Amino acid sequence: MNATNRGINRAVLFAVGLVLLAAGAAVILASAWPTAAEIWRSSAAAAVSWMQDAESSSAVSDATTLSGFTIGVLAVLAFVIVVAIVVIAKLGGGRSSVVIRDENGDGAQGAVVVRQAFASDAITRSLAHRGEILTSRVSAGRVRGTDVLHVSVTPRQNTSPAEVAETVTGLVDSLAVLTGRQTPTLVSVRSGVRARFAAEQPRVD
Amino acid sequence: MTDRVLTRVVRRETHSPRTAVTVVVLILIAVAAAYTATEIVLRLSGAAPLLATPGEALAWIRALPDEQPQSGVIAGAAAVALVGVVLLWFAIAPGRRAKHALAVLDHAVVVDNGVIASAIAERVRRASDLPRGAATVGVGHRAVDVTVRPEQGQTIDRAHVRSIAEEELERYALTPRVKVRVRVQQPAEGEGSS
Repeated sequence: MNATNRGINRAVLFAVGLVLLAAGAAVILASAWPTAAEIWRSSAAAAVSWMQDAESSSAVSDATTLSGFTIGVLAVLAFVIVVAIVVIAKLGGGRSSVVIRDENGDGAQGAVVVRQAFASDAITRSLAHRGEILTSRVSAGRVRGTDVLHVSVTPRQNTSPAEVAETVTGLVDSLAVLTGRQTPTLVSVRSGVRARFAAEQPRVD
Repeated sequence: MTDRVLTRVVRRETHSPRTAVTVVVLILIAVAAAYTATEIVLRLSGAAPLLATPGEALAWIRALPDEQPQSGVIAGAAAVALVGVVLLWFAIAPGRRAKHALAVLDHAVVVDNGVIASAIAERVRRASDLPRGAATVGVGHRAVDVTVRPEQGQTIDRAHVRSIAEEELERYALTPRVKVRVRVQQPAEGEGSS
């Protein structure tokens, strides 16, 4: 669970996919169909001569090959690289170290800030006593301005997920009683390689 | 308010963010742009090109329909178009993960399909008095497949197995709802003499 903007991911994939599909289809058409090949040749020739014109007419000086057109192309390429890096850098994130915040301080308890480490310790320690739960991990994140607790547990194989969910949500509710504040909580019950190896051993009798 | 947040959280947990594909595509785009820029700068400074000068590259694109062998060009273009279709599929398909949301209590609970499968298999196995490993369960997005292999001489009632699996699923109240299919594999005659 993180704050990755999934809309941007899908928009990038959609745009790139569309361009590749269009380019591939255009080359296939141009190779297989003489009329399309003619269009391809004439438009490519037009594009190349337009670029040559643009380059010669926007030349900075006669002494160099540098032109305003070339600078423009380089600027567009640099922009594309920067956008790609920014989108990659913005992936993930959204983790929060605070589970509960009540900074108004108008309640009986005054200002309350519960750190993720506290909730994490409380929940993982309590779950450690339980034989049917192998591992647990607690993280916190902010979704639409609300702090959300994410408890992720791997139960032993053959354990009923409903029981596991009840155990974990029971702990979360106890934490809520302790802190006086209900935190929206996501419980994910995971299967894993460990769960498979730690399946209840057959009794010998 | 909280409900909407939890709905969103569950949706994010049960669907792929497409991060890996996006990162690969963006890195390839950045590399291609950097390469193009390098060739342009090399041309400006009059140095030898890495692969081809921009002019040569444009001329190659222009002559693409006449390039030989034509089948090679078409195959390459088809591969490019196919990659495009795959990316469009990644962009549009829901990208569901093998997980279900459990409608228990007022918290959001998301369970891997493997956990549901092993719990149902265990329940069916115990209720029908089958040996270890004789019940196999596969959980899909909308269906649960239960396969039981009874021992020689043991009779298994399909409807009974189905009702056990359904009863167990009832307790989970999965979203989306799943249908139960039961298959009984009778051991072949003369096999499994133990």
